[in-house]
Amino acid sequence: MAHLSLTPTSKLISSGFVWLLWIVLGFSTSHTHADTGLTVPQRVTLSPNWGTQELSISWLGGGATTFDLIILRTEFNETVFYETVTPTVNKVSGLHQWTWTSVNPLECTSLSVKIRSRDGHTTSEWSQTETLQGNDHPNSEQRVKVFPQDKVLPVGANITFCCIMDEGMVLDKIKYDGNTTSVTRLSRRTYSTTVSNLVASRQSGSNMLCLPEDREKLYGAVVFVGYPPLPIDFKCETHDLRSAVCQWGKGRDTHLYGSKRGTRYFVNNRDCSEVNKDVGQKEATCTLDTWEGNWTLVAKNLLGQYSLTDTAELSHRVCPVVPDLLSVVADAWNASLSWHWKYDSYSSLALVCQVEITATEDEKLIKRVFSGVGLRSVFLSDLYPDEHYSVKVRCGAQQNFWKWGNWSKLSSFKTKTYVPDTPDAWLWLNTDNTGKVVWKPLTRRQSHGKLTQYEVFLWSPEENRALAPAVTLPPNNWSMPVNLTEIAFFSNNGSVVAKVTARNDAGSSPPARVHLTSVEPLAAPRIVYTDQGFPLFWENNANATCGYVVEWLDAFCPQDCPVEWIKLPAGTTNVSIESATFQPGVRYNLSLYSCSLDARELLKRWQGYTQELVPSVALTLSASQQNADILLTWKEIPLVNRRGFLLGYNIYNSTGYQFKLLENVSDPETMSYTAKDFAKGFTKGTFKFTVKAYTAAGENTGTTATVTIEPYTDWLILEILTSLGLVTLLLAIVTFTCYKKRKWVKKAFYPDIPEPKLPSDWPRTRGPLDVKPSPHSMVCVVETPEYDCIKEMLVAIPEEDEDDAGQGIGDESVDTDEPTSLRYYNQMVDERPIRPRFPDSSASSISSMSSAHTDVTYTGIQTSGSSLVLQLDPQGSSECHQPQLDRSVSYGGGGYRPQMQPRAPSDDMGLPSPESFLEPQAACSGGYKPQGSWQLDSPVDAAEMGSLAPSLGSPTSVASTQFLLPDGEENTGEKRQLSSSAASWLTNLLSSTKP
Amino acid sequence: MAGRSTRSINGSNGSRTAPARAAALADLLHYECSTLLELFRKKENFTEDVTDRRLVSVPPPSSQLDTRDKLWRIHSALLQCKKLLETAVAKEEEELGGGKKGEYENQRKLVKERLPLLILSTGELLKAAEGTTSLTPSVEGLEVNVPTGLLDLKLWVYRVYKEVNYWSKTAANTLKDLPSVIVKEGARTTRARNRRSTRR
Repeated sequence: MAHLSLTPTSKLISSGFVWLLWIVLGFSTSHTHADTGLTVPQRVTLSPNWGTQELSISWLGGGATTFDLIILRTEFNETVFYETVTPTVNKVSGLHQWTWTSVNPLECTSLSVKIRSRDGHTTSEWSQTETLQGNDHPNSEQRVKVFPQDKVLPVGANITFCCIMDEGMVLDKIKYDGNTTSVTRLSRRTYSTTVSNLVASRQSGSNMLCLPEDREKLYGAVVFVGYPPLPIDFKCETHDLRSAVCQWGKGRDTHLYGSKRGTRYFVNNRDCSEVNKDVGQKEATCTLDTWEGNWTLVAKNLLGQYSLTDTAELSHRVCPVVPDLLSVVADAWNASLSWHWKYDSYSSLALVCQVEITATEDEKLIKRVFSGVGLRSVFLSDLYPDEHYSVKVRCGAQQNFWKWGNWSKLSSFKTKTYVPDTPDAWLWLNTDNTGKVVWKPLTRRQSHGKLTQYEVFLWSPEENRALAPAVTLPPNNWSMPVNLTEIAFFSNNGSVVAKVTARNDAGSSPPARVHLTSVEPLAAPRIVYTDQGFPLFWENNANATCGYVVEWLDAFCPQDCPVEWIKLPAGTTNVSIESATFQPGVRYNLSLYSCSLDARELLKRWQGYTQELVPSVALTLSASQQNADILLTWKEIPLVNRRGFLLGYNIYNSTGYQFKLLENVSDPETMSYTAKDFAKGFTKGTFKFTVKAYTAAGENTGTTATVTIEPYTDWLILEILTSLGLVTLLLAIVTFTCYKKRKWVKKAFYPDIPEPKLPSDWPRTRGPLDVKPSPHSMVCVVETPEYDCIKEMLVAIPEEDEDDAGQGIGDESVDTDEPTSLRYYNQMVDERPIRPRFPDSSASSISSMSSAHTDVTYTGIQTSGSSLVLQLDPQGSSECHQPQLDRSVSYGGGGYRPQMQPRAPSDDMGLPSPESFLEPQAACSGGYKPQGSWQLDSPVDAAEMGSLAPSLGSPTSVASTQFLLPDGEENTGEKRQLSSSAASWLTNLLSSTKP
Repeated sequence: MAGRSTRSINGSNGSRTAPARAAALADLLHYECSTLLELFRKKENFTEDVTDRRLVSVPPPSSQLDTRDKLWRIHSALLQCKKLLETAVAKEEEELGGGKKGEYENQRKLVKERLPLLILSTGELLKAAEGTTSLTPSVEGLEVNVPTGLLDLKLWVYRVYKEVNYWSKTAANTLKDLPSVIVKEGARTTRARNRRSTRR
C-alpha cells in the first residue's frame, strides 16, 4: 500500500500558513508600494507545453526588472515554486516572459500562478491569480488518466508519473515494471510517483500501472528507456565503378525499436531507414546512385542523433563484384578456369584475383593468386590426374587495393586419368632363398586412375630378355613369390631383375626394378630409438648409384615377414626411421642396402627396440643343494619373449618375510649361480630362490625355486670326530703328564699320612676292641632297590693292609679274628688334620662314637677287609648286605653309625622284622638314610624305628665331597659303580706310588 | 518454451469424426493460447489479472440451444476472435514491435495461424448442420476500437488473447458434446439469424 505523504489536516495547516504569509507579504507590499510606486503585473498569461512539462508565464507592466513568482497546486494550495525571477522582456510589446519546468506533468493537477514586481526590498501588490486547469478538475473531459503517456527517456533519467483517479476510486498502489513505488498525493484525485535512474527497457517498453483498490479499472502508461544511436565504421565503396555503396555498423543497441522509436539513418540526406529495419543485422548499407566523394551519415532517434562522415576517390574504393558463371576445362595435370564479370567497365580494370582450389580427396586447400587487366580466366597447373576439385574466385583492384570482393560460388571439375606412378618394389628373402617380390600399394594420387592390374617380369640384364612370361596380378595383390634357386637355374646363374609395373586405363607405369640377389647377413649393433625414430647413420657408398634402401622388420619373424622399406636418394648418409607399425617390446632389424644398376648390397645392419619392455615370460629355474652350496640353474629366455636387450639376472633369496638380493648377474649369458656355503648356517629348512631377468625396462616377474636344505651330516660327523680326537689327545696328554708327574701329584693330592708315634709299651698285639658297639652298628645309605648297597656303604678299610683291601671284603674269618676299627679315608680338601688311626684304641672308638656328627667323607669311607661289612645276604649272594643281628652284636659293636643319635641298647630296638629284609629298600633302611628318602612307611615302622627315626635322613657331614643323597636315576647304582671303579683305579694308581 | 509439450489433432483414432477432430483442434488452440497468455504476462510483468472485460459478443448459452445454434454461437465467437486477434497482432507489431523476434512472437504467430483452422472446422460443421442454404455468421462491419495509449493497447491485446483462450475452450467443450454425426436440420429463417447478430 502506497504511503500518502499528505493528509487533509496537514494540508489545511499548511494552507493556513501560506495565507498568513500572503497577508504579511501583502501588507509589506502595500507598505513598500506606497513608498516606491511599483505597479502590479497585469494580464498574466499561462502557456503550457504538455510534452516538455514547461509552463510559459507572460505578463505586462510591473515597472521592475525582477519579479516574485509563486506557483501553487491549486487544490491543496501547496507552493510548488516561489522565487524571484528575472524574465525576458519584449522591448516592443513590453511583455515579460519566464518559463518554468514542472517535475510533474502539467496535466496532473491545477496550478495557480501569481506575480509581483520587486525592486530590491520593495515589492508591488500580487497580481491576480491565474490558474492552469489540470485533468483532475471535475470538468475535465480528458479520458487519459495517467501522465505522461508513452514517454521515451534516456537510460539513467528520472520520471514522475501521476494517476488521476475517478471520483470515489481509491488508489491502492502504483507499480513500475512490476515493482511497487512510493506515492505522493498531489490533489484529491491525483497521485504521483517518481522512478529514478531508469534502466533500458525491453522492446515493448516498461509499464507503470495505477491499481485502484477495487481493481475495477486499470490505468497506466508505458515508458521507453534507451540510448541515442551510435553508429560506427562508416565507409563508402563502389562495385560498378559508378555508384556508391555506403556501409556502417549500427553500434550499441538503443533499446528503441519500431517505426516510431527506432533509429533512422540518412546518408547525404537520403533516408536509408527502410532497408535497415532489421534489428538483427549489425551492419547497415545504403546505395547512392552516383559517386559523390563526400558522405555524411546521420543516425537519429527520439533521444538524439549521431553523425559520421567519409571521403574518398572512386578508384580507391573499388570492391569488385562476385565473379559469375565459372567454367573449367580440365586436363590430367592442369585446368583452365574462366568466369564472367557483371559490368563491362571491369574490362579496363586492373584486377588481382585469388583462386582457391580444394581437392575433394584430402580437402587440401590450394590458394593461388593471379592478376591482370579485366582478368576473367586463369590456368591452374600442378593438379593431380583423376582427381575431383572444387574452385572459387574473388578479386580486388590491383591498384589502390581496397578490399577483396566476395567469393564466387564453388565450381567443381575432375582431371583426366594418367599412367600410374612406378611402384615402389622390394625383395624379401627367407633363409632358404625363397622369398617374394613385394611392392607398396599405389595410392589414389599415385594410381592416376583406377588400376586394372600389376605385371611382373623376370628380366635378364645380361641377355636383355625376359626369362619368363609376365605375371599379371590383380590390383589388390602387392607381392609375388620367387625362388632364387630356381631362378638361378634357368638364368644360368646370371643376375635377374624383377620388373614391376602398374596399369590403368591410361597405360602402364614405368617398371620398378628389383635385383633378385641374396645377401650375406651382417652383425647388427644395437641402436637406440629416439623421438624422431631410429637414427641411422652411414658413410656414403660410391656404388649406390641409385640411392639406398633401408629395410626394417620384426627381428624374430621366421618366415614371409611383413617387411617395410624406404628408398633414399644417392648421397644420403642418414635417416630416421619411423613407422606406424612399430610396436614396443619388438626387436627390429634395420638393414641398409645400396642400390645400383647391377645388384643390391647389404651395407649395414642394426637392431633396436622402439621401447624395451620387461621379459614377457619367466625363466625355467631349478635349484639343488650341493653340500653347503645351493646351485641355481635356469634356461635361456626365448628371444621373442625378451622384449628388450637382456642385461642380466637378479637372484633373490626369500626367507618368508624378507626378499633379499643375493646377487646381480650382469652377464646375460650366465645360466647358473651358486650360492656358496648357503646351507652351512642352517641345520634344516626350506628356502626360496627367485631369479629375475632384467632389461633396460626392468625385471620380469621372476621364477622361484624352493630348496629344502638337509643337515650337513658329513660336516657334523667330521666335527664330532675331530672333537673326540682332541679330547682323547688331551686325556692322553693329561694321563701321560700325570703319570710322569705322579710323584708330584701324589705329594700334592695324596700326601703320606705320617705313622702314629706309639709308645714303646703300647701293646702291639691285636685284641678285641674294647669298644662297646652301638646298638646300631650299621650304616646304610638309602638307595633305590636295585642299588648296590655295597658300593655306597661305608667301607671299612683294614688298617694294616690297605693295598689288599679288596681281599678283606667278605673275608669273614679275618674279620672276626681281628679287632675292627673304622678308618676314615679323608678326601676333603680342607686342611684339617687327619685323625690319627688308633686301631685298637677304645678311645678312638669312643671318640668316634661319642659324636653323632662325624666329619665323614662318604666316598672316602673305607674299611678294612676285616672290618664290619654290612651284608644283608648272609650267603653273600645279595648285593645289599645286612649283617645278622648276632654278628652285629658280636662284631659290630664298634660299627659305624653316622648321624644317628646314640641310643640305649635294646633287644627289640633296631631289629628289623624278618620281612623287612626281604625288601631291598627295607634292607637298607637300617643303615644310613638320607633325609630325602626317609619316611615312615607305617606307624608300626615308626614305632619299630623308635627314637632312631628323628636322626635318620639327616646327614650332617659338612666336609663331604660326595653327595649324601642318592641319585634318583635308575642307573645311579651303575654310575656309582663306575665312579667307584674310577676311584679305585685312581686310588690304585696313586697307591702304586706309595713307597 | 523448453519442455513444453505439444498436442496433435492427429490422434491414434484415424476414424475420428468431424466434431471430434474440431474439438481436438480447439483443445490444441486452447493450449497454445494459454501458453501465449503466459508468455505475454511474463513479458509485460502483468502480475495482476488486469481485466475480464469481454470483447466478443454472442448470445448467451442456453440449454435450449440445439446443435446448429451451438455451432453457430461458437463459430460466430471464433470469427470475432480472429478479427480481434489479427487487429491486435498488427497493432502490437506497429506500436510495440520492430525488435528481434522471440518466443512470444513465435507463439503469437502459431495461435494466429491455428485459429482460422478451427474456424474452418466449425464452419464445415455448421454447414453440415444447416445445409448449403444456411447463413453463416459474418464479422463484416465489426468495428474494433483499438486504444490509443500503449498501456491500454497492451491491456487490450491481453483481453483479446483471453477471449481467444476462452472461446477455444468453449468451442472444445461444445464440440465434444455434439453428436458424432450431425444431421441436417431444416432451414432456419434468416430472421432468426439476424437476431443473433455478432455486432455489439
